Amino acid sequence: MANLNIRSRQERTYQAIVVGSGISGAWAAKELCDLGVKTLMLERGRNVEHIKDYPTTNMLPYEFEHRGQIPQKIQDENPVISRCYAFREDAMHFFVKDTEHPYVQEKPFDWIRGYQVGGKSLLWARQVQRWSDFDFEGPARDGFAVDWPIRYKDIEKWYSHVEKFAGVSGNKDGLPHLPDGEFLPGYELNVVEKYFAEQLKKHYGNDRHMISSRCAHIHGNADYYAQQGRAMCQNRNLCQRGCPFGGYFSSNSSTIPWALKTGNLTIRPDAVVHSVIYDEEKGKATGVRIIDRLTKEMEEFYADVIFVNAAALNTNALLLNSTSNRFPNGLGNDSGLLGKYVAFHNYRARVSGEYEGHSEYTTSGGRPTSGYFPRFRNVFKQETDFLRGYAAGFSAGRGAGPDTSGIGMDLKNSLLNPDKYGPWRVGSHMMGETIPKESNYVALDPNLKDEWGMPQLKISVDYDDNDEKMVKDYIEQMTEMFTKAGFTNIRANDSKQAPGLDIHEMGGVRMGKDPKTSLLNANHQLHAVPNVYVTDGASMTSTSTQNPSLTYMAFAARAAHHAVAESKK
Amino acid sequence: MNRRHALRHIALISGGLALIPSCDFSKEDILAAYENLKITASQKALLGAISDTIIPAGEIKGALDLEVSDFILVMVNDCFTKENQDKFTAGLNAFPDYVNQVAGKKYESLSVKEKEQLILEAAKLEGDDTEEGKRKAAISYFVNSTKRFTIQGYMASEYIQTEIIPYSLIPGEYNGAVLITDLQKPRING
Repeated sequence: MANLNIRSRQERTYQAIVVGSGISGAWAAKELCDLGVKTLMLERGRNVEHIKDYPTTNMLPYEFEHRGQIPQKIQDENPVISRCYAFREDAMHFFVKDTEHPYVQEKPFDWIRGYQVGGKSLLWARQVQRWSDFDFEGPARDGFAVDWPIRYKDIEKWYSHVEKFAGVSGNKDGLPHLPDGEFLPGYELNVVEKYFAEQLKKHYGNDRHMISSRCAHIHGNADYYAQQGRAMCQNRNLCQRGCPFGGYFSSNSSTIPWALKTGNLTIRPDAVVHSVIYDEEKGKATGVRIIDRLTKEMEEFYADVIFVNAAALNTNALLLNSTSNRFPNGLGNDSGLLGKYVAFHNYRARVSGEYEGHSEYTTSGGRPTSGYFPRFRNVFKQETDFLRGYAAGFSAGRGAGPDTSGIGMDLKNSLLNPDKYGPWRVGSHMMGETIPKESNYVALDPNLKDEWGMPQLKISVDYDDNDEKMVKDYIEQMTEMFTKAGFTNIRANDSKQAPGLDIHEMGGVRMGKDPKTSLLNANHQLHAVPNVYVTDGASMTSTSTQNPSLTYMAFAARAAHHAVAESKK
Repeated sequence: MNRRHALRHIALISGGLALIPSCDFSKEDILAAYENLKITASQKALLGAISDTIIPAGEIKGALDLEVSDFILVMVNDCFTKENQDKFTAGLNAFPDYVNQVAGKKYESLSVKEKEQLILEAAKLEGDDTEEGKRKAAISYFVNSTKRFTIQGYMASEYIQTEIIPYSLIPGEYNGAVLITDLQKPRING
């Protein structure tokens, strides 16, 4: 704490502090800066500047010593992160290794983290589907969690706001439960994907749809995105390395450089936020304490308004660690529910198959997305013995390969002239809504600390009977749909993967109407500390089935405008 | 620079291989670049000869020209579990005797056809729980792993990906319905 007073309090005072630089934090910062608010953005990891800090972005396959594979020693030492599909040699440096940041798994939970400026926005799968009122009204209709304090009408214009800026490509599909948005031209489904969509219409009427998944890639209107220094997506499919074109949306390529250009943003990397400071006399939060990641020294920063966007579970951890006489159990935790009602997406099951038809066709080029199967179970009314439902990814693909059975010149010529086409391969994975429960929670471990003296997070999250029924139904239904479409060699697999590997953990600081049963109000303010906003995954009252990042972006933009409006009152 | 690069560098400037002495004085020194394996220079040469049988030189370079044996050993050293490393090296150790047993000569003395035949047969060996069965399983595992990594190391080499089938970081706009008959490419003669 030696340098606590070296810089004056005034130098460490801003109008707003945003904790976290990932997808939601950087959106909050960008909106605040656009509105003229002097903003400090704190990030616990190192700085990552667009393009400059993407060391692997233009590397060719042969330049990776293990051609992409993660060495065994690293896998043995880091079993959790090694289970993540994107943890490969080309993006390894953007993921947190188990050994560096330990946590306590009361039940198995694969916590996938990205500690750097930009957070996981560099690494995300870039799928962006809107919620509808069939999602927001879920808890009230089906009697779980608490009612969302907002509806689609409250968030609709903010979806539009963030979609336009981020760049979202998609088609106007006209589905009431997956509202259309501000779309750049959509990506094409291939001939077999279109065939499958037609088969669904034929066998299920207008009940089941398979559409081109909306994704945060620039696929048109290039001049508009040039203002952000971004260019059209080049279909490289190397997004996890960071994109030198800015073809997909990330904090690093878009919101952060934009906010910096306003002159209102200060980024402080290597700042592990210890706690939010609560002033009992003023009855509000006045700033945050940080521990410098490298020097381990503590420092304080001050602001009128504080956004906590540390990513779902770390936002919980930070609020739980922010104790005071007024809030002995964590900031804003009058209800005692902070850290509870954590939920996630159930990604356990996959169904794959082959298709002998359309054998004269293949595909060429690349695309950054694939097919998307919006939820069809229990959408308009309850119709199964489990609550809610699942969305699914779907894709079909086919490529030429060599015959590798031979040896010598035969093998060599086959490798150099790959012309063996097998059948089309089709595949689908489920994205199931899970029901938030008090028994699924995170808490601070009373004994174990990390390298910075911060309590380790203890995670106790598990599947329940509803999830098991949903896995079973997904496998049955997808198998039936594949069979009706004439697919063969259909195989279903339940990976039984632990929660967390979906990287869609949510909740713990949920929104609600009643301070007795929720932490945040309809404007994302802590009920008890209204100058603290939470707009990341922690704020989610329920999870629905859609990839959640777009909703966090809209929440962050909406809350930032609310905070500025409040400050002018 | 990591340790392996450093060792390669020393080997280059010293004009020889960086070696560490083996514990057994009757044997050759062990290559230090593959620290999890006990591989001698002559074993690496044998691996090179096998890779040359799998993908020989012709109108364009083969696996030996591209030193694919180094890639194979890097992958086994870094990306295999201990158990699979042991199986691979057991197979490599047993390989010369196996060749002698089935062909009556050393590997390098066989004709190209004989080598090809021998590798294809070795890849199909089936093991069981006996000592002999374990040896066969290890040889088959060694040969199949070597073939797989030879193909990977060769196809994902700088030579192939720049001079023969240039790799593009930008694959172009997606076309979801391409007639295969429209895709005829000029044949590459190996």
